[in-house]
Amino acid sequence: MTERNVLHVGIDLGTSRSSISASNGQRHVVESYVGWPLDMVAKKVLKKSVLIGREALEKRTMLDLHRPLEEGLIKDGSEKDEAAVRELLRHLVALTGVDAAESKKLQIRAVVGVPAEALRVNKQQVRKAMQGIADSLLIVSEPFAVAYGLEELLHTMIIDIGAGTTDICVMKGRLPNEEDQRTLTQAGDWIDEQLHRLVRERHPQASLSPHLVRGWKEEASFVGEPVAPVIVNAPVAGKPTKLDITAEMRQACEGILPPLVESMFALLSRVEPEYQERVRQNVVLSGGTGLIRGLGPRLERELQAVGGGKVRVVRDPIFVGSDGGLAIALDAPDGDWERLAT
Amino acid sequence: MARVQRLKRRLIAELVAQNVDLVRGTPDRHLKQRRRFRLGSSLLALTLLPMAVLGSSRLWAPAFQPVPEPASAARPVARAVSSPPPSSFLPAPRPIDPSVFPLAVHRIAIDAGHGGKSGGTRAPSGLTEQEVTLDIARRLKRHLEGASFEVVMTRDQDREVSLKDRARIANQARSDLFLSIHLNWIAGGNTRGVETYYLGPTDDPELSRLAALENRESGYSVADFRRLLDGVYADAREGSSRRFAESINGSLFRSLTSVDHGIANRGVKTAPFLVLVGTEMPAVLAEVSCLSNPEEAGLLAKPLYREYIAEALARGIRRYALAAESAPEKGI
Repeated sequence: MTERNVLHVGIDLGTSRSSISASNGQRHVVESYVGWPLDMVAKKVLKKSVLIGREALEKRTMLDLHRPLEEGLIKDGSEKDEAAVRELLRHLVALTGVDAAESKKLQIRAVVGVPAEALRVNKQQVRKAMQGIADSLLIVSEPFAVAYGLEELLHTMIIDIGAGTTDICVMKGRLPNEEDQRTLTQAGDWIDEQLHRLVRERHPQASLSPHLVRGWKEEASFVGEPVAPVIVNAPVAGKPTKLDITAEMRQACEGILPPLVESMFALLSRVEPEYQERVRQNVVLSGGTGLIRGLGPRLERELQAVGGGKVRVVRDPIFVGSDGGLAIALDAPDGDWERLAT
Repeated sequence: MARVQRLKRRLIAELVAQNVDLVRGTPDRHLKQRRRFRLGSSLLALTLLPMAVLGSSRLWAPAFQPVPEPASAARPVARAVSSPPPSSFLPAPRPIDPSVFPLAVHRIAIDAGHGGKSGGTRAPSGLTEQEVTLDIARRLKRHLEGASFEVVMTRDQDREVSLKDRARIANQARSDLFLSIHLNWIAGGNTRGVETYYLGPTDDPELSRLAALENRESGYSVADFRRLLDGVYADAREGSSRRFAESINGSLFRSLTSVDHGIANRGVKTAPFLVLVGTEMPAVLAEVSCLSNPEEAGLLAKPLYREYIAEALARGIRRYALAAESAPEKGI
């Protein structure tokens, strides 16, 4: 098998967005939605048997729409969600330019990231979903993939905040174990729920949907002092109305701080004292929700309670997980891949 | 640079080994060697956390509100350390003698049910009792160490340990309490809920069946068994085991019903579980959830739900410890 016969891919299978980085230079991100036409009429209008990502979201009224991941894991017990994950993975691989015919000529070696505290059964579900899509598969803890891609393998704390989970991991030059990492469910979706609830409490007449609220968060999330009021449009009693949701946005976003800070300190306390300073000075914030404005400085302020530290946001939080997966895929020896056939 | 490459090669090798175990369905060898987490780090981190989190964060809105417990609940740390050290790093992990704390209970044996070839029950999704109980046990360990208890695990990896060895580990460590964590399986799939057992006889054929299932691969000889049974029902630990079971079961039900409204309190019961026979301290077996129920199996697949269970068990232990501290009794 020569190198040109092999395609290495890193996949960050996310609750909200999934990304793929491939050894042929292709990088793509899709929203983790899969929809099937509701009936024959919808199928005729859409001219497709399955829609994925943004397109599925936009045409959701005609679709049986699924968001097949929950808290970073494949939803359990629903055949439709399992089928949706397979469609999503197949679509991601196809985006790299490998169609069904071509994929038979290629050997596809994939690395897929899962939340830090995923159980074996969750990993087995991923393996099952990848059968027929990749020839060989390595499953890794998502924050480890991030750390590997950044080459931050020693004395680093990775805080990867996605939609479904916040994964926190201290890299100690070894594969992280359960003492080195934590998974919190206070992440992007949790903020959406809080924001939805808070806005509804203040504006009970407003018509809100999860997609609308998520859009507001993606546009204007922040912690700390606001730099400008957050004004959004929403129908109130049927009329388009401008709402000031600055206070609600702040409260919803800051809600993730206490468990995040607590976990950060708990993991720091498990680091040998001579290395704690280095870890505190090397905190890396990644993931889509890690882009909340002011989050890095706020975490630095919290770190002052234990001697101070430095938090930096990765340059490319959307692809950092899949890039890390790709780096692992490229570094794994050929012989090892043969032992990891799906 | 060469050092980084060497490190990467080692990490990839570990990762591949872990995945090969996953493919083969064998226990994760990466988990086989665990550095024992020492009490000191957790103790002092606990002192710093309230200051750092409550002092500097304006909001405290956890998704899960713990059930309130008495303010003086068994958290000796506040008495032991009154202020953080003026150093620039979090306190060093160093051993600490728990006997400095005036607690009747300070060493807890946590027994993650099943393991290795003894997988226990299994949901249609593939979720197994052995992996869930181990995950909850590890989370519980974290909570208890954070509250200054010392923890002994009868297993901290996916391996088979006989019932005899589980009791031996707890006894040799001179544990003050023994908690065995299991998941229930009730035919039909509709029943769900929590129940907690301490050692005693039962007339219920269903409980006898359950006990017989859990008592397989005990590791006891016939002679051992006769000697153990001689003392079983006149056991001086009965009263304390019952109170411990009540504390665990009450905490489990109160906590879980707030997040899972369909859950039933199946109560505190007695049954002849062998893992409880050989232990020399108050001992209970908690069926923390029902894997036969599809809804509970779905919840158990979520880390947050397993965290709720671990928190509830930790609260039950603290409540019992607090009561034991205020009214020390023979047998603890």
